Parts: sequence; structure tokens; C-alpha cells
Amino acid sequence: MNATLGIFVVILIVTLAITYWAAKHTSTTSEFYAAGNQLTAAQNGFALAGDWCSAAAFLGFSGLTALYGMDGAFYALGPLMAFCTVLFLIAEPLRNTGKYTLGDVIRVRMQTRTSLLAVITGTIVVNFAYLMPQMAGAGVLVKLLTGISYDWAVIFVGASMIVYVAFGGMLATTWVQIVKAALMLAAGALILVMVLVLVNFDLLTLFRDAQTRYGPQFLLPANYLRNPFDQISLGLGFVFGLAGLPHVMTRFYTVPDAKTARRSVVWVMFLAGAFFVGTTLFGLAAANFVGQDVIRVADRGGNLTLPLLAQYLGGGKGTLGGEIMLGFVSAVAVATILAVVSGLTLSTSGAIAHDFYVNWVKRGHLEEHRQVWIARTSTVVIGVLAIALGILAQGVNVAVLVILAICVAASANFPVLTLSLFWRRFNTGGVVGGMLLGLVSSVVLAMIGPAMRGADAIWPLVNPTIVSMPLGFLGAVLGTLLAGRDKENEARFGAFSLRVHAGSRGRIAAPEF
Amino acid sequence: MRSGTVSNAPSRRREIAKESAQHIAVAALVTAKVAFVMPITIIFLVSYIGLTALAGFAKGFLALKVIGAVNVGFMLIAGNYALAWLLAIIYVHVANTTFDPMAERAFPLPNRFEVSQ
Repeated sequence: MNATLGIFVVILIVTLAITYWAAKHTSTTSEFYAAGNQLTAAQNGFALAGDWCSAAAFLGFSGLTALYGMDGAFYALGPLMAFCTVLFLIAEPLRNTGKYTLGDVIRVRMQTRTSLLAVITGTIVVNFAYLMPQMAGAGVLVKLLTGISYDWAVIFVGASMIVYVAFGGMLATTWVQIVKAALMLAAGALILVMVLVLVNFDLLTLFRDAQTRYGPQFLLPANYLRNPFDQISLGLGFVFGLAGLPHVMTRFYTVPDAKTARRSVVWVMFLAGAFFVGTTLFGLAAANFVGQDVIRVADRGGNLTLPLLAQYLGGGKGTLGGEIMLGFVSAVAVATILAVVSGLTLSTSGAIAHDFYVNWVKRGHLEEHRQVWIARTSTVVIGVLAIALGILAQGVNVAVLVILAICVAASANFPVLTLSLFWRRFNTGGVVGGMLLGLVSSVVLAMIGPAMRGADAIWPLVNPTIVSMPLGFLGAVLGTLLAGRDKENEARFGAFSLRVHAGSRGRIAAPEF
Repeated sequence: MRSGTVSNAPSRRREIAKESAQHIAVAALVTAKVAFVMPITIIFLVSYIGLTALAGFAKGFLALKVIGAVNVGFMLIAGNYALAWLLAIIYVHVANTTFDPMAERAFPLPNRFEVSQ
């Protein structure tokens, strides 16, 4: 385990140096929340890959494939397909319309305090539902990988994230994510080459050996998700949930224009997509070379599959090569968690400091330097809260929260965002209706489903998106119709569209409310 | 003359004309975008959600062997990766060559971001 700590200390020093540099370039709100909109497409593409690939993707996908075969490959495909939705529908309009947050888009479109409050709620629920399992996962993982205790692991991860975000803002967060993505891809490429050499560049043998050892069912679906509707629901959750995740949306404000936002999505689709393909091959290789029994003994959920495969490829347990490979992959896993929680914290700070305090409580009237101060302070508060929740979550089943985050994003945030961008009649009643029905149905169905109640589940599906997303859209449409026509809002839609699709600014006055 | 009623504000009239021209241009852009984005969105959704439905309800079909131990299921997963990458490249090409010039006509670049809110 010494190799892990050694390599991780190097990563930590590099990221802290980046933060020191970034802090000197972070003095305005635009710099704090959006890195001054100065990133290139490649930079934002790498950062998106760092933001989106959590430990669940880096470690989990190969683990699922090693233990459950094809279902793991399905898990890896969804997150790439999800970027199609983002590219075709969301990325460019977001860049053209908003400033730092999802709240900005809704505020400009609706110009009402109620709609802003509804969207702040959606953002905070999704971000904390996502952040808490990340912190709990960090505790378990860092403990497994380095041997330090769960509580100290959570405190260490939380403290690092507070330092990155509070001092270096989006610039530090971005570069931490870029470093993590580069390391993740380097580790993936190295493992891929070693696997290819091991099988004499014949990938078919991976499938053949896995089938021989674990039977034909291993290469078929329904080993992990038994209910057929759960496969579909998971797919829907991915393709529409990503487009409703506030911490991913925030990344599109870091580039200068819609064209760059578009190109950055293509970057992430090739970078992350290539890694996802890799996870399927790594999972099969680990099942063949390491074996499911060894993987299960190390961690029941299969989360140590990739580190174990790396150890095997490096020469095996106890060899120098094996320990270095294990240490490298484990250190990248810790860096992965840091990059994701930093993005989540920054985005939550945007919702609390920028959307709620500055735009809702202060109605947009607050000096620039006070706004930055509030943003930094809220980061520290959110970070401390995340640490506390992470420690409280030890031993608690947090799997339900992961499902909840993606499900609320797909069922509440996604309908409200797309209808705001594209439907003239959509109004404040619709924002509230969509947010309410999407959020409540997601929470209730997740709580009474198998992820929370196990065998006593009242509701059969692990992932409720297949029902809650249509309900979210229904709530949005019903809310709009029940609230009646908002003529002023509809008259503004022409100017709003000009902004959404052509990037015009200054046509719509900043809302006064 | 009826037009005389607004002739005392020619600049306002020019502004209204400019605004409505912009709105017509952006409406044309939205129509063009919908005509292109709608089909490709449907293609990728049918391909991917369709595959998850096959996984739930047509395991026998996914189990058919194609090359060695690799079955239809894994081929379709690989096909979806290829489709996502292909559609992304096509989308960016069309956006660069068609949508950007239309957006430029609706709202020339030098005027963009004149007031950052």
C-alpha cells in the first residue's frame, strides 16, 4: 500500500500547486464560477471527462463486467449515449442563455422568484444526493486502498475539496479534473496495451475464455438487473439524467461560446467513450486472469477489480511491478473522487451563493467582491456539511441516493430545462409543477423500491425513471395549463429564442424582482 | 397618411423592423435545427433504448453468436458506441456549416455578448 500513498502524495502536491496558481487568477465571480469563460474545447472536454467519470465509472464498470458480464457493458454504454442528448439539445442553448447555473437560465426565461426557488431546490437535492454517496464511497475506498480509517478518509477528501474550490474556484476545479482525466486515460491505455499483449492482440479470446469459465449466461443480460423494465429505466435515467445534472451543466459556462461548448462535448465523447469501451474489456480480462472469487474476496461489490487486474498485469502480488501498478491505479481512483466532489461542491455553491443568496435574497443587488466572498464561504459550509454527511453515512445504504440523483435530474431538472428552452407557453406554474411531480415521484418510488427496502420492496424497480420522468413532464404541462396564459412571458419568448439559438445578449433586461 | 403617426419616431420604427427581421431569421434557424436534430435524436434513442428493451425481452436474440463467443448483444453494444460517435461528428459538421451561418445572419457576432448579465 506504500506505492499508493507515494503516488497519491505526488498527485496531491501537483493539485495543490495548481490551486495556488489558480487562486491568484480568481478574484471575480466570473472567474470563481466559470474560469472567466476562457477555456478551450479540449480543456473543457478533458474536464468534462474528469467531472462525469466518478469512481463508479472508473472502478465500478469493470467490476460489474467482471462479476455480472454483459450487464456491466450496458452500464458503461449509457454514460456515453447520454452525451448525445447533451450535444443535440442542451450544451449550446445553456452556454448562450445562462451565466453560471441552471437557475440563471430559468431566471432569464421566467423572471419570477418562485421559478428560481423551484430550480434551486432541484439543484440542491440532486447535488447532495450525488455528493453524499461520493463522500461515503471515498471513505470506503480510501480506507481499502491506503489503510487509513473511514472517518479520516472522509475528512481528508472533504478538506482537499474545500481547499481546491474555496481558493481556486472553477479554475482549480477544472485543472484537478483535467489532471484526473489524463491520469485515468493513461492508466486505461497502459492496462489496455498490457491486456492486448497478454491475449496476443486477439480480443475474441477474452470472450471465449470468459464463456468457457463462467458459462454462456455470463455473456448475456439480466445477471445484475433482473427486472426487464429496470434495464430500460436505467437507460432512460442515463440519457436524460446527465442533461439534468447541474454540476455537468456548469462546465459549459467555462467556454467562450456555443461553438466551443459543442466541440468540448465531442472531446468528452471520444475520451470518456474510449475509456468506457476499455472498462468492458478490463472486466472480462479480470474475470479471466484474476478470477471472480479473488475479486469478491477483496470487495463484495467488485470495486477493486481494476486495481487487482493492474496488479496482475504488473507481475502479480508481491512483485515490484505489481505493487507499482496497483498503487498507480489506486491513486488515480482517489484523484477521481477528488475531481468529482470538487465539481459538485462548486455547483452547489453556485445554487446557494449565486442563485439563492445573491439573486433571490438580495435580488441581484450585491457588490462583486461581496459575491465572491459569499461564494467562498458557502463552499466551506457545503464542504463541512458534506464531511459530516459522509461520516454519518458510514454503513448506511447509500446506493439509493445515487439512483435518486440521476432520477431527479432526469425527471425534474431535465423537463423544466428543455421546456423552458423550447416551449413558448411554458410558465412559472409549469416550472413548479414539473419540479414538484418529478422530484416527489422520484423520491417516493426510490424509497419504496428494492434499492432501499430490499426484499420488502413495495415497488419493483430499482430505478424509477421510466415512471417518474413522464410524471415530471406531465407535472410541467399540467402546471403550465392550470396557471393560465402568461402573455408577458410569451411575448418575451422571441427575444429569448434569439438568445438561446443565436447567442444574443442584452436583448432581455436582467430581471428585477 | 396612416404611416405619419409613427413617422416622428423613425429610429424606433427601424428598431422594430430590425427586431422582427431577427425574429424571422431565428425562427428559420429553429425550424432548420428541429428538422435535423429531431431525426438524429430519435435514431439514437431508438437504437439505445431499443437495445435495453431487447436486453429485457429478447435475450434469445442477443444470445445468437456472431464471431466466436461474441454474440449479437455485444455487437449491438459496439454498434451503439459507433453510432454515438458518428452522430456527434455529423452534428458538429452540420452545426458548423449550416446553423452557425444562420445564427450569424440572425445576430451578427460583433453584437454578441454586448451586455453580459
